[in-house]
Amino acid sequence: MKKTRNIIKAMLPPEFRSIRFFSFLFLMALAFVALLIFRIPKYKGYIDPFYSPTILILPAIALFRLTCYAFRKSYNRHVFTHPMACIVSSSNDLNKNYTGESSYVFRIENLHRYFMYFSVLILPFFYYDAYVSFAYNFSLIRLGSILLLADAIILSLYVFSCHSVRNLIGGNKDCFSCMKFSISRKKIFDLQSFLNEHHEFFAWFSLAFIIFIDLFIRAMIAFHFDIILLHI
Amino acid sequence: MERKIKIFSSKQERLIEYTVPIEHGMVVLDAVIYVLEHFDSSISARWNCKAGRCGSCGAEINGIPSLMCKTRLDSINGDIEVVPMKVFPNVKDLVVDPTDTWRIKKAMPNFKISEMVISKSSGITATKNITLYEYDVTRAQEFKKCIECFLCLDSCHAIRVHKSAYIGPMHVAKAASLDMNPLDSLDRRDFLDKNGIRFCNVTKCCTEVCPAKIKITDNAIIPEKERINDKKII
Ligand code: SF4
Ligand code: SF4
Ligand code: FES
Repeated sequence: MKKTRNIIKAMLPPEFRSIRFFSFLFLMALAFVALLIFRIPKYKGYIDPFYSPTILILPAIALFRLTCYAFRKSYNRHVFTHPMACIVSSSNDLNKNYTGESSYVFRIENLHRYFMYFSVLILPFFYYDAYVSFAYNFSLIRLGSILLLADAIILSLYVFSCHSVRNLIGGNKDCFSCMKFSISRKKIFDLQSFLNEHHEFFAWFSLAFIIFIDLFIRAMIAFHFDIILLHI
Repeated sequence: MERKIKIFSSKQERLIEYTVPIEHGMVVLDAVIYVLEHFDSSISARWNCKAGRCGSCGAEINGIPSLMCKTRLDSINGDIEVVPMKVFPNVKDLVVDPTDTWRIKKAMPNFKISEMVISKSSGITATKNITLYEYDVTRAQEFKKCIECFLCLDSCHAIRVHKSAYIGPMHVAKAASLDMNPLDSLDRRDFLDKNGIRFCNVTKCCTEVCPAKIKITDNAIIPEKERINDKKII
């Protein structure tokens, strides 16, 4: 018994032995279970972004976000406290156990690009959902549809400002003028770099926005309302 | 108006408090120089340009690695604590010994001009006349702004824990500036991988403290990590 416990302990990186980590894990699991239990049906053409296309792929999306450089910064600072802030403390207590990416659990973070490919495949579904909600009644423009469209756009901005995309579209090249379509490739790279500067913002904003829309649709179902902005 | 400033003394191994009269626009370095001139002329501190250009005056001001000549006193509330950078061996008071960084610089594969620009005709090796476009060099140029103040090395918690196993953000930026140069033929991915770039967990403290405002993490470390992943994932 003690032996197995020691083996498990040796396998887990020291970061995983903190109460912060377990509370984080607990909250994530709670949210996932809640989404599974309290499923919501399509309501007046609105499809909840969490169920688009299905909640079962949510773990893959979660992996994309967990290996994202923007969220890595946040959870390394606030969940694992490595480091909590940039002040150089004299005691260094919080940093002592740090092993970083040298532990195999954290090396998964390097697979970010594959999760990114997967997320790009998922993106069209969000546009499709927005289309479905507009198609529910073309003579009305409803707030929910606008929000779903905004959500799809923000998610696209988040995915396309990813650092792995940056590497893919030119970050791994030293010389643009040596390639075909050099100027346009450089222009795309510059545009992506500009978006990339705001990657952290897109990451958090898209996360908050998707939760907001989920709550909004749940509220519409609970109170049977719909907000119509315009009759055409 | 007067402010209290505490300066580390290596002889007594503690902070010593001084009270300094304040004028508008004073920086921490001015206060240290005032202490030097009026209270204790034996304090050792380095500075040169007083303009944030030479990178000599780095220290930890209230725990945050900063240039003394660029930190205004009115940007700090309460007492001011000035201690030397802890990542380097202390020489005396605020002076540290960053010799190690030169060793790392020497170990890094140096610029090697690519075959593309060398023409070998009739036994003579000469440089071809090639055009270097601006849009090819802007990326590498950002890292040339580095003033070698070593503040990023001091702020990096990965160095604090793993010591010399990680070369540090400043050197990754240097490697990136060479790697992204279109005329350079070498590849420093293996060098960086062997020298602990994986210890960095992209928490961006180096970017936060860099006085030259280089986006070290976004533009050097992460692109290099991604390039390493191109070659060898996990
Ligand atoms: S981002 Fe990486 S290199 Fe920079 S301070 Fe953090 S761990 Fe160190
Ligand atoms: S990268 Fe910035 S913080 Fe680091 S040594 Fe250069 S100027 Fe200083
Ligand atoms: S004195 Fe030169 S950078 Fe501060």
